[in-house]
Amino acid sequence: MSEQPIDQVLVSILGRALRAITDEMSVSMERSSRSPILCEARDFVTGLYDADGRMLEQTENLPILSFSLSPVCQHIARKFAGDVYPGDVFFHNDVFSFGNQNNDLAAFKPIFLGETLIGWAACKGHQADIGGAVRGGYNPNAKEVWQEAIRIPAVKVYERGKLRRDVWDLIFANIRLPIVQEDMRAEIGSCTVGERRLRALVEKHGLLRFEAHKRALFDSTRRLMEAEIRSIPNGTYHGESTVYFDGHHPGSRHKIRVTITVEGGHIRFDYAGTDKQTEGFVNGTYTSTASATILTFLQMVSPSIPHNQGMVEPIEIVIPEGTLLNAAYPAATTFGNHLCPPNADAIIRALSPVIPDRVTAGWNQLLCSLSTGHDPRKHDTYVDILFMGLKGGSGATADCDGYDHIGMIDASGGVLDQDYEMFEQMTPHRLVSHEYLVDSAGAGKHRGGLGVETRYVVGGDDTQLVTFGDGDIEPAFGLFGGGDGSLNYIELHTPDGRRSRTTTKDHLHGVPAGTLYVQQAGGGGGYGPAQERPAEIVAREVRDEIVSAPAARDLYAVAVDPVTFAVDHHETARLRAKRT
Amino acid sequence: MTTTAAHRTYKLGIDVGGTFTDFFLWTSDGEVRGYKTLSTPKDPSVGVLEGIATIARTLSLTPGELARRITTIVHGTTVTTNATLTRRGAKTGLITTQGVRDALEMRRGIREDQYDNHLLNVQPLVPRYLRRAVPGRLDWRGAEVAPLDLAGVREAVTLFRNEGVTAVAICFMNAFVSAAHERAAAEVVRREMPSAFVSVSSEVLPAIRFYNRVSTTTLDAFVGPVLRDYLRSLTSRLLEAGFAGALLIMQSSGGVALPDATARRPAGTLLSGPAAAPRAAAAYARASGFSDCLVVDMGGTSFDASLVRGGQVELKPEGDIARLRIALPMLDIVTIGAGGGSIGRVDSGGLLRMGPESAGADPGPACYGRGGQVPTCTDANVVLGYLDPEYFAGGEMRLDAERARAVVAEHVATPLGLDAERAAVGMYRVISANMAHGVREITVKRGLDPREFPMVVAGGAGALHGCAIASELDIPVVLVPPVASVLCAAGMLLTDQQHDFVRSCIARFSELDPKRLEALVLEMAEQGQGQLRRADVPQDRIEHLVALDLRYLKQYHEVTVPVSLEAVRAGDFGAMLAEFHREHDRLYGYELSTEGTGVELINVRVRSIGHTDKPQLPRIAAGSSDASVALKRRRRAFVPELDRFEDLPVYDGHRLLAGNTIEGPALIERTDTTILVSAAYAARVDDHGTCVVRRRAP
Repeated sequence: MSEQPIDQVLVSILGRALRAITDEMSVSMERSSRSPILCEARDFVTGLYDADGRMLEQTENLPILSFSLSPVCQHIARKFAGDVYPGDVFFHNDVFSFGNQNNDLAAFKPIFLGETLIGWAACKGHQADIGGAVRGGYNPNAKEVWQEAIRIPAVKVYERGKLRRDVWDLIFANIRLPIVQEDMRAEIGSCTVGERRLRALVEKHGLLRFEAHKRALFDSTRRLMEAEIRSIPNGTYHGESTVYFDGHHPGSRHKIRVTITVEGGHIRFDYAGTDKQTEGFVNGTYTSTASATILTFLQMVSPSIPHNQGMVEPIEIVIPEGTLLNAAYPAATTFGNHLCPPNADAIIRALSPVIPDRVTAGWNQLLCSLSTGHDPRKHDTYVDILFMGLKGGSGATADCDGYDHIGMIDASGGVLDQDYEMFEQMTPHRLVSHEYLVDSAGAGKHRGGLGVETRYVVGGDDTQLVTFGDGDIEPAFGLFGGGDGSLNYIELHTPDGRRSRTTTKDHLHGVPAGTLYVQQAGGGGGYGPAQERPAEIVAREVRDEIVSAPAARDLYAVAVDPVTFAVDHHETARLRAKRT
Repeated sequence: MTTTAAHRTYKLGIDVGGTFTDFFLWTSDGEVRGYKTLSTPKDPSVGVLEGIATIARTLSLTPGELARRITTIVHGTTVTTNATLTRRGAKTGLITTQGVRDALEMRRGIREDQYDNHLLNVQPLVPRYLRRAVPGRLDWRGAEVAPLDLAGVREAVTLFRNEGVTAVAICFMNAFVSAAHERAAAEVVRREMPSAFVSVSSEVLPAIRFYNRVSTTTLDAFVGPVLRDYLRSLTSRLLEAGFAGALLIMQSSGGVALPDATARRPAGTLLSGPAAAPRAAAAYARASGFSDCLVVDMGGTSFDASLVRGGQVELKPEGDIARLRIALPMLDIVTIGAGGGSIGRVDSGGLLRMGPESAGADPGPACYGRGGQVPTCTDANVVLGYLDPEYFAGGEMRLDAERARAVVAEHVATPLGLDAERAAVGMYRVISANMAHGVREITVKRGLDPREFPMVVAGGAGALHGCAIASELDIPVVLVPPVASVLCAAGMLLTDQQHDFVRSCIARFSELDPKRLEALVLEMAEQGQGQLRRADVPQDRIEHLVALDLRYLKQYHEVTVPVSLEAVRAGDFGAMLAEFHREHDRLYGYELSTEGTGVELINVRVRSIGHTDKPQLPRIAAGSSDASVALKRRRRAFVPELDRFEDLPVYDGHRLLAGNTIEGPALIERTDTTILVSAAYAARVDDHGTCVVRRRAP
């Protein structure tokens, strides 16, 4: 093979072109899918991979799904070596062959130029149902994978453009909701869009030239990432965090421990010392943990690094099998994605002493619910994940406040609230309120992001409610003198006048219509001492009713006139003098 | 037929931009002329009047004489855009349903860059203490769950008055099904705050999706007083100057409307800045024999790309301005940060980047010699020999070529280990690729193949990059109209009066009563009819276009499908469905007509058009294919296809005649723009003075 001269400008152009393709795949999925989890909240990712399954580029609406696609693609390429043809489509969700979560069912499509395999297109979204014991897929009582979902190891659903009806039917005979078939059609459509465009791109430049410039793009990207890592002092850093309640043993606690070693342009995350796997579904898979690690670290480096193989090469991740973060077969693992927030906490705690200006304080831990039932208006079953309810605040940084109502760190503002009116059309529920939660943010020189309170009245019949998450015991932590955020909870006010809190991993049947659902998602942690926050900003936030007057006084040492909302400078000076 | 000087009348298109105000004058005997003057951002109407005075001087008329002879002014303004971008709109209050007052600020919880923990949320147009929630609730089908608390509305009004609020937005949950509560609240506000500007969501946008509606309605209120004051100032100045013709205002949807109607729905002008250019592009493309075209307009800091199909400009139902949602129909124009002022730099990984940062007009590119220290696209174009330092803006401005070379060498060439010329080549290629990416957004992203369209190039800098963008995307034909540098102002004289309406009508298509659909369409058409008749549009020039937002059952996003008024009247649902399946397949690569999947209607749209009289495009004198008379000199410049510098012939664009052909590589200079005819292309001047640049057979 002759040496291809590298045109550095073409390298830049190629990076842009690949991202344009994955964006286009994402638009296609967003606009044509049906489950609100996909088309309203955007709980899916799209990506392109080279013939060997290495990442070319991704559009990561929900990053926790993202970094399993390349390992799965490599798995498929190996498993089906010599048996891959133009027009093939593969499905995969198996968590014991690099899947991150059972519900995250992916479609992969090989891309050919003539007879030559040149790459893969993939789309993976959180499906509204995936079989198993519980509608919607979250089974907090599960102890084995089969109680959670149908396992789909890499299977071929189309061969040379022809549907394998037997395989397709076998899969969908084990999934409750017909819309999952439709949403998988949308995933295949998204891959087809990626296939057409990547093929055209490679055709235009020629395969040899494309391959050479792809390698150059990987190299440039790797150098960018190495430079970012070099800006962190060499050394070994430890962090830990706690996961509360495995779904089976109230009061149980489980430790995540990470040892981060930075040496030159290389960074290693080693989870040795993490507690062993739990009996229930509170377990990570290798790729859910690896994704959590990468996405947390990406927030500490320049956001403009392209997302390809070169970006991940300098990052080494070691997750001992049999632990909470990499459970051994055949464990239940549906909760694995949601170990991202505590995992992020451990990483932030480890690195905050060395790169204090590049970390955030703690983010609100995820607490989420899924409702499913019968909608008598449409004579149909619905499944809805209450994304608007889970959106707590992010942690503050050295130079700005946390982001209000952003939601779990695994999405970092990539998934969206359902629109309120669409929510009332698509479910039988009626929204009562969805507003910022006063005093939820951790106080600080920079405060945490605000949490939210969501209330709705349950409608329809046969309502089941599944909760999954954490954050009811330990709040988002403050940093460098900043305060903690508020806690999470979900409470039900049933028509008989009773009020009860759900656990953080619950499955409730027969929730009566007319029940008021109340959820608080807490705020993020603050950064720096609260008495250093400018008093005028505190006063404005009192006027805006996101900080109460007592909190202004007690936490920020700021006195605010209750009528004019002006700062009482004299009193504030006195209060602040007492603090120092 | 020519009119004598004494009877000559004029039509004037006026495009107020950030730096320049462009004028396009069309005389009754068919002459056209473009002008540029400096904008006066404080009160843009001052610049408009100054421009009219300048034009009058060139015609040996007094400003009053000219003003009296202008029959029509079509005016595009960015006052609402700028008020939004700079947050200098009215102090605005929002009255909304109890429990959802933060939707406006939350923006559904998006953070556009997920990995950037320093990206802040957008400051809302209305601070939280001025977002007042009142009890009262309608359910999903409009039935009252709780009555509206009018006392709560009055409390909000009291607060607004005390706080000096001058604009009020009203948006309640489910008001798209029933406007009852909003009407009642609006009545109180209008009575108790008679001078306030009031925007009501069920009037601005009676369509489902609460966030879209509250955001759009608030934007409408926020810019309302600003636009109203500006239009008052403009109309009175024009009146004082003697103007007695019709004044029409450009809308984001690509149409025009009377000042009154515009002031009533000010949000309709928020993205009207680039909206007229595609219209002129379509007219010139048609004159050159093309019904479809791409349109690219490259200014100093931004690059606008759009698509014309079947003579029509693509329309989209919603978009964003400065990360705020605006859900009104607007032309599908993609704007990216790429222009003559875009700054080139090399990042820490060794990748060359161009923009989106721009040197703007001040200090501008380094070659302007006004203190610019960093290399821009224009500097690269000087180094590449594309711009003549002695003939920039027709020689009115000298460029400092040495300075351009020095900054390119320092900031791009040295870090990349290249010489200045190779570095400039890289800059040229990267920015051309960025612009090609913008063109992809409006073609490939919508499932269209850019190779099927000729590309009309506009803006002062556009014609230097036209062939490069075309090569990147395999576009076979590039058109440079004679009015390329003021294309937007020219387009204003080619637009129609237009009013857009939308009503939500959620129903399974198979169960929809055809009479209900017809009644909705007719109700909107009647409203449009009324507005157009009040603007003196004759009946035979009025047309109503109908479109349906349809989707497969359980999809969340709709496909907008045009249907004929006749099909609606006849209740011909079969034809409408067939069109929907076709469109879904085109956009997403599959359709489900054989699966028996149900189809659902969400919104019904009507666009009422009043066709205006449009001037004819003037023709230029004919010549032979030989262009040698216009040859000025030769200049050393870069030829992309050959990847080297060569001595290129430079033609005087003003001396070219219809039929003249020029083989690339060559440069064509006009006072307002320079065209690079690249080596793989050849240009032919057509009857209307458009340079038709075609890729030569290989």
